[in-house]
Amino acid sequence: MVVKHDKKSMTGNDAASYAVLYAKPKVISAYPITPQTTIIEKLSQYVDEGKLDAEFIIVESEHSALAGCMGAAWSGVRTFTATSSQGLLYMAENVFWSGYGRLPIVMPVVNRCLAPGWSIYQDLQDSMAFRDAGWIQIYTKNNQEVFDTVLQAFRISEDKSIALPSMPCLDGFVISHTTAQVDLPNAEDSFNFVGEYSDPVIEVDTEKPWIFGGLVGPEKFIKVRTDLMEAMERAKKKIVDMNKEFGEYFGRTYGNGLIEIYGDDVADLTIVSMGTIADEAQDAVDKLKEEGLSVNEMRVRTFRPFPEKDIVEFAKKNHKLLVIDRSVSFGHAGQLRIEIEAVLQRNKVDTSVEGRLMGLGGEDVPYPKIVAAAKEALRSKI
Amino acid sequence: MIEVIQISRGGSGGVTGAKILAEAAIMFEEGLYAQAIPKYGSERRGAMVQAYVRFDNKPIRIHSPVYEANHALILDLSLLDRIDLNSVDKEGVIIINSKKIPENLKGSGRKVAYVDATGISQELGLVLSGFTLVNMTMLGAFVKATDIVSIDNLVKAIISFWGEKRAPKNVEAAKRAYEETKVVIA
Repeated sequence: MVVKHDKKSMTGNDAASYAVLYAKPKVISAYPITPQTTIIEKLSQYVDEGKLDAEFIIVESEHSALAGCMGAAWSGVRTFTATSSQGLLYMAENVFWSGYGRLPIVMPVVNRCLAPGWSIYQDLQDSMAFRDAGWIQIYTKNNQEVFDTVLQAFRISEDKSIALPSMPCLDGFVISHTTAQVDLPNAEDSFNFVGEYSDPVIEVDTEKPWIFGGLVGPEKFIKVRTDLMEAMERAKKKIVDMNKEFGEYFGRTYGNGLIEIYGDDVADLTIVSMGTIADEAQDAVDKLKEEGLSVNEMRVRTFRPFPEKDIVEFAKKNHKLLVIDRSVSFGHAGQLRIEIEAVLQRNKVDTSVEGRLMGLGGEDVPYPKIVAAAKEALRSKI
Repeated sequence: MIEVIQISRGGSGGVTGAKILAEAAIMFEEGLYAQAIPKYGSERRGAMVQAYVRFDNKPIRIHSPVYEANHALILDLSLLDRIDLNSVDKEGVIIINSKKIPENLKGSGRKVAYVDATGISQELGLVLSGFTLVNMTMLGAFVKATDIVSIDNLVKAIISFWGEKRAPKNVEAAKRAYEETKVVIA
């Protein structure tokens, strides 16, 4: 049975804050940065008003913000922070430490480009720079998905068989500061879904002291790494299961949790992208279809773990992919394109791939631009 | 889909106004979806601030700013020349804070809705740090000039946003503007 929802109007950042309020973390440790600020402002207000019974640690930097969450995670409680852009860079050491240390922290990244040039607008350069940090990364397309994904992230991260931190990603301003409809379940139903964090993946026991992050010799080191790789592999199934369970409880799903397909199963061209561009691309698909062109869409929702099997299966039946990247690996190409080409090659799929960089530093990507890019891709022979 | 571009000066409440307009549609108009996008940048008090509002009868998947609006909502008369009216639908309404039909619109054949929002807001004491808050007043003018959100639902949204204590003056501003707005072909 699907639980009752209230039709609400809120920004993407408020949607994130609601999910956190309902998930009841015990420790929030955070430092403000545009465009993430209003998430933690709201949470500090909830704590101040007594609506959320959590320790809110006000720190002097992002590095310390995540350190606070790491301490909380080691002590076996639910914990949360959020950041953006330069803030994420400043916490870099601890981002890797908490990923490789398997700490179930939930940290939305409100995507904002990296400086220089100095800018507060959205692209995916910040979170994509941390694709190798051992964090689950889920890219959301609208305010509703932000709420839903933050709730799911606690469940995914805190599962003992996963034990990985999660980074729900939301485009700065276009989601974070835009007001839109969110169908909001009540606090009780939301918490029932997330549940108590009663079986911590790790917990300090002062009676039995032991060392965290101690020296590991080369012979054991590979085990630490393969454990993480296997957890990431298990996370794929977990995300699929979570998407399904979420759908049964709340009545909403996002593709299979890993990728979301829009339009026909087979088309001459498949637009591939992430975040809000992927949402807007659905309008582009409709427009192209009206003009008699055969175009469908694949949204990559989960970037880490990378849904190799799902992407390959869909790409195999289609003819050509137009991958729109909102971030770039300098000296190579857009990261999404790089990874898609890699999995196609590895699986001997000869569907051709064309890449486009769009929306860097907050450049608008209205659907007519996507339509134009798709038409160009349909014309070129590659 | 109906798209609105709003221009205002920082400090007059434009961003909040756009948000409340979207909220009125989302929370109180049956079957209507909406979105309010503030355009952030180096906006500050007194500088021009843009915001966009979209309404549709199905979920909105567009996240870009509005380029070609159905209606323009102009909270400050001196900003009229800062908007390209050719980008606004010829059938749409130009809703402006003005005591009379602005000179540059006279004879344009455009549908214009005008109201002395500054006067109404000042009479009601809606002034903060020297800036007259014309946002709720102009929403009253907007609902009068267009047929998207009803005045009753706008009032509900204003009360829901501001709370019982702070709502009365804002409700009064919207209602008075709703009564006093004149819609003409200029």
